[in-house]
Amino acid sequence: MVSIDVIESSPSRLRVRLGGVDRAYANAIRRIAISEVPTMAIDDVVILENSSVMFDELVSHRLGLIPLKTDLDRYNLPEDCDCKNALGCPKCRVLLVLDAEATDRILTVSSGDLISEDPESKPVSDIIPIVKLAPGQKIKLEAYARLGKGSEHAKWQPTSVSTLIETAKPDEFELCIESVGSLSAPEIFARAIQRIQQSLTEIAAQIKA
Amino acid sequence: MLLLSLCSGGGLVKMQRAQTQTQYDAWPVLQDILTREGVARQHLNSYNEFIQRGLQSIIDEIGSIDIETVGTPYKVKFSKVKLKLPRVVEIDGSVSNILPLEARLRNLTYASPIFVDMTVEEDGIVRESQEQHIGDLPVMVKSDRCMLATMNPQQLVEVGEDPKDPGGYFIINGSERVIVGLEDLSPNKILVDYEKVGGVTNYKAKVYSSIVGYRAKLDITLKQDESIVVKLPSSPVDLPLVVVLRALGLETDKEIAQAVSLRPEIQDKLEVSFEKASEAKTTKDALMYIGNRVAHGMLDEFRLRRAESVLDWGLLPHLGKTKDDRYDKAIFLGEAVNKLIELRLGQIESDDKDHYGNKVIKFAGQMIADLFRTAFRNLARDMKYQLERTGQRRGLNVVGAAIRPGIITDKLNNAIATGNWGRGKVGVTQLLDRTNYLSTLSHLRRIQSPLSRSQPNFEARDLHATHFGRICPSETPEGSNCGLVKNLALSALISVSVPSAQVVAKLYDLGVKPFKEADERMKLDGCRVFVEGRFVGFVKDGDALARSFRKLRREGQIHPHAGVAFFDSPFEGGTKRVYIATNSGRVLRPLIICDSGRPTLAPDIIKRVEAGQLNWRDLVQMGVIELIDANEEENSLIAIDFKHLNEKNTHLEMYPSAILGIAASIIPYPEHNQSPRNTYESAMAKQSLGFPTPTYPFSTYVREHLLVYPQPPMVKTRSTSLLSLDERPTGQNAVVAVLSFEGYNIEDAIIFNKSAIDRGLARSIFYRLYEAEAKQYLGGMKDTFEVPRPEANIRGYRGEKYYRLIESDGVVMHEAQVGGGDVIIGRTSPPRFMEEYKEFEVKGPYRRDTSVGVRASENGVVDAVFLTENDEGGKMYKVRVRDMRVPEIGDKFASRHGQKGVIGLVVNQEDMPYTEDGIVPDVIINPHAFPSRMTAGQFLESLAGKVSAIRGKPVDGTAFTGEGSESLEQSLKEAGYSPTGREVMYDGRTGRKFAADIYIGVVFYQKLHHMVADKIHARARGQVQMLTKQPTEGRARGGGLRFGEMERDCLIAYGASMVLKDRLLDEADKTEVHVCEKCGLIAYYDAKQRKYVCRVDGDNARISTIVIAYAFKLLLQEMMSLNIAPRLTVKDKV
Ligand SMILES: [Zn+2]
Repeated sequence: MVSIDVIESSPSRLRVRLGGVDRAYANAIRRIAISEVPTMAIDDVVILENSSVMFDELVSHRLGLIPLKTDLDRYNLPEDCDCKNALGCPKCRVLLVLDAEATDRILTVSSGDLISEDPESKPVSDIIPIVKLAPGQKIKLEAYARLGKGSEHAKWQPTSVSTLIETAKPDEFELCIESVGSLSAPEIFARAIQRIQQSLTEIAAQIKA
Repeated sequence: MLLLSLCSGGGLVKMQRAQTQTQYDAWPVLQDILTREGVARQHLNSYNEFIQRGLQSIIDEIGSIDIETVGTPYKVKFSKVKLKLPRVVEIDGSVSNILPLEARLRNLTYASPIFVDMTVEEDGIVRESQEQHIGDLPVMVKSDRCMLATMNPQQLVEVGEDPKDPGGYFIINGSERVIVGLEDLSPNKILVDYEKVGGVTNYKAKVYSSIVGYRAKLDITLKQDESIVVKLPSSPVDLPLVVVLRALGLETDKEIAQAVSLRPEIQDKLEVSFEKASEAKTTKDALMYIGNRVAHGMLDEFRLRRAESVLDWGLLPHLGKTKDDRYDKAIFLGEAVNKLIELRLGQIESDDKDHYGNKVIKFAGQMIADLFRTAFRNLARDMKYQLERTGQRRGLNVVGAAIRPGIITDKLNNAIATGNWGRGKVGVTQLLDRTNYLSTLSHLRRIQSPLSRSQPNFEARDLHATHFGRICPSETPEGSNCGLVKNLALSALISVSVPSAQVVAKLYDLGVKPFKEADERMKLDGCRVFVEGRFVGFVKDGDALARSFRKLRREGQIHPHAGVAFFDSPFEGGTKRVYIATNSGRVLRPLIICDSGRPTLAPDIIKRVEAGQLNWRDLVQMGVIELIDANEEENSLIAIDFKHLNEKNTHLEMYPSAILGIAASIIPYPEHNQSPRNTYESAMAKQSLGFPTPTYPFSTYVREHLLVYPQPPMVKTRSTSLLSLDERPTGQNAVVAVLSFEGYNIEDAIIFNKSAIDRGLARSIFYRLYEAEAKQYLGGMKDTFEVPRPEANIRGYRGEKYYRLIESDGVVMHEAQVGGGDVIIGRTSPPRFMEEYKEFEVKGPYRRDTSVGVRASENGVVDAVFLTENDEGGKMYKVRVRDMRVPEIGDKFASRHGQKGVIGLVVNQEDMPYTEDGIVPDVIINPHAFPSRMTAGQFLESLAGKVSAIRGKPVDGTAFTGEGSESLEQSLKEAGYSPTGREVMYDGRTGRKFAADIYIGVVFYQKLHHMVADKIHARARGQVQMLTKQPTEGRARGGGLRFGEMERDCLIAYGASMVLKDRLLDEADKTEVHVCEKCGLIAYYDAKQRKYVCRVDGDNARISTIVIAYAFKLLLQEMMSLNIAPRLTVKDKV
């Protein structure tokens, strides 16, 4: 008999006890939480101006790693989107702009300076540093965020911790998921299960065919 | 990376109880020494001494030149020398002062003009006097002549310099060159030794008599027949000892014998020598005797003059070069012979050449003095020649015109730029290593031995007891240079020269009697006293003298760098000697002076040093610490640490881990490693990528690496902060698990977590500089920067697509993406020879394409474009291309324990093992890396790294004094971890618990500069060499991969003859040649006559065509050029 006991549940952390579940299935949830649950992250950056000491590739890399709040119901993965457009459409991408200049003193540009066209898809924290500007330096860019999966790049991983450990009882495991903030931990869990379900359905369909 | 472990360790941070021992810790003093003096002090002191005194003394040595003209001869006198600020003379003659940054950017030499006051004197009457420019002297960065020396950090930043740059190197044509310290035998010291050659024992005394820029070797040999001979550099034959002494002015036998010793057993040994010199009874005879040998067949008067100059200039020049100095030389020679005979009689031991007390290290100042001396002599000779040719015209204008400053400037520049010091000395200078900050520091403290690396020289390579605290026991290369290239220890200081006159005066006050004043009793069994290779007299009790000398030095009455050593022979009858050393280049080390079992450096004094109220020089003045050279150390009894200090100790070690050098001092817990591992790490630390200099926005190094997210190590040593390695780190802290992983980490491979790489672990940037100059040629022709156009009659046009990135000024745009072959600087040049086109070209003058393209195997983004002009007026572009290097399979990494490995597999995070807390390692290394290498230090580091993550602050892993394992284990226990460092882990792929607990912790990893992207290479077909028609070699030339002899052997053994033919002939240098069947020599096809021709048999020839390797054809022809006729016998295939 399958049982799920929630030990701890908050947006940032979820701990559940899974009983009567096969280890492979439980571990699949853990793995999929890391690599297959999509989140939003900056993937394409158009640098209009950058006179900082940090050059374009690095700024872009840092922008990509900033976790963005993600609403999976409102956005499509680019490959699943109807637009079939390389540039994407409002259903599959979010534009964030950054325009900062240091005038008389050193300025630390942080994630809070990113202005998103969708107020719901913004950085989970405003104090993540991006680059330091010396007086006179300027940075201006357009960043395009899209949904993606952790299997492609770590910036799309929704989890910081995803573990499955054994308990004292056989066939019982404890699953723990911690979120980086883009999705809530319970949602990651739910989406991971959905994802497995979807895969299994697909396999079943293929077997029939 | 670290992020995860810090998050989950969160609430458990508990402060470790304060270090239990409020132990005696003199580290602040050592820290003060190194921060105040800097790591390049030895170079700077040496160079400063040269520009303050050496330069003048070399010029004074020549003094003046006599111009012998037909009319009235005159003199040009040299007096005061002045070195002005570094400057550049532009092509238009304008002069401006420069700073190092400008020199690096514009490929200039950072040099100062030397001016000498010159006076024209006729019949002793001064006619005119003026300062004249005699040449340029390269200026050492941060020396007294460098403008950076007096700037504060803020000012340094403003002029584009790294405030933490140690200086100590030169900038020649824009590149940074270091004159590596050169080990040498102590000058002016009598060293005795014996050698056995084929059953015959020869006793030898050697003296390297040195003055600024010049060295004369004196050899005294006591032969098998008991005769003693002297070998001088200016004499082709050995001279009998007694003859030399007599020529020096000791006429009577008694005088000569007494100059050696008053002891009868020693005088007895001189008997044979006296017999051999029977033909020279007087000084005059002796001089003639020498004259006959050195200037055979010349006039009497000339022979006499030559003999005198041999004695004055060639014999012991450090004692002076005039007639008045001959007596001192005789006394010195006597002492040398005395020492030699004492060795012969077994009264003293032979001197140890590897003892560091018998060695000095020569740095830039001494090395440049050697060069400058010859260069200045050449200049003077050239002036004399030109002025004598000029004849009657005289006066300063003529003198000024006769000076060619290029003689000095070019000689110095060439020598420093190439490392070629003349007289077979090569490799004296090296390009400063800027791989990372640590490698720069280490390079500046390197020492080379002049001994040949092709000979075994076993003893010279060994670690010697006197290296303790002076030379790093770990940091030395492997292989042929092992033990010959050394590195200074952290505690080592190099002496500067101390004026010896004042020291000698103090000695006479202390009761030393000069040779002439000493009574017989004293001469017979008194102690002999030497100051800097000068025999200054006798004293009754040498030990007491040494002690009073030290007392004076501690009171500040004598320079702290003066060393004193009392030598007593372990055998019966040996003379006691006191040596006082005042020369530069001795390796000193600071020690704490102890008095009746207590260090005079009290803990409260150390506290004041720590608070900045006192500095280490004050401590020397207070007489609580002193600088000891290797000879003086022989008179000391040094306690290794406070715990072992007892009444008998004279000194206490300052800090135990200061015996290590720069590179070895960053290893945490090195005392737990097998020693070669520390040596390996010392070499690898210098190849790790980091943050070499914050000046990278303007740096123009040909290759440069930058680690994107460098981190200071979490397990540090005291020297990491001391050497500023916290601000210029060389690696990153990685969570490392020791575990095998599907065989992908066997043979030292390592597994990387893909997510960690995505997040920026070990990401680095590689910069390469491309450079092009527009030269001006004779006849007004010039190179031009432009986009070469196909219609403009350009030879070597590469095709339109290669020029697509360059703009109208001929250079690429900033931030352009470039790939192999793309032209980034477009340039055309005039024909190499003007005649070339006149004859053959119809279209008129052509131009050559000399554009600079990106290297075939590289790509990247244009990072910076510099446009400057060099001092010849040539416009110059420097384009820097950057390439981001994300770790990939095959990149090389190493921990700080000589544990190196390449990435074997990059694994997705969900497949990686995880701990119960959810920590996923960044790196997985194989457990087999440990049993044979015995690097227990890495286990301790791992443990300490984990503790550091828990505590949220670094752990001290300094050698000998770092935080011990008990305390680390305690901390782990308190935080709820196993004190063993092991944890329960699960396999990420199955979710199954591993049967064993896994060792996991935080270890500092270095990315080494051997990256796959720079080495990956394959070829299907491509270019061949012109001479042999075989494929080229090497990646840069798109070469083939060699199918070598051993590979060939395999195919032969296997019988795969067709494969063999395919590899070695068909796909290599297959050629068809025509052979004459009659003579067997190579024939050819004449296309005009449409027939085959053999030059030997003419029309009678029967020619057939065969297939051979082109290399074989070449061999046949080369043999023919040697008058050998190789004939081929050709037969039909049946
Ligand atoms: Zn779309």
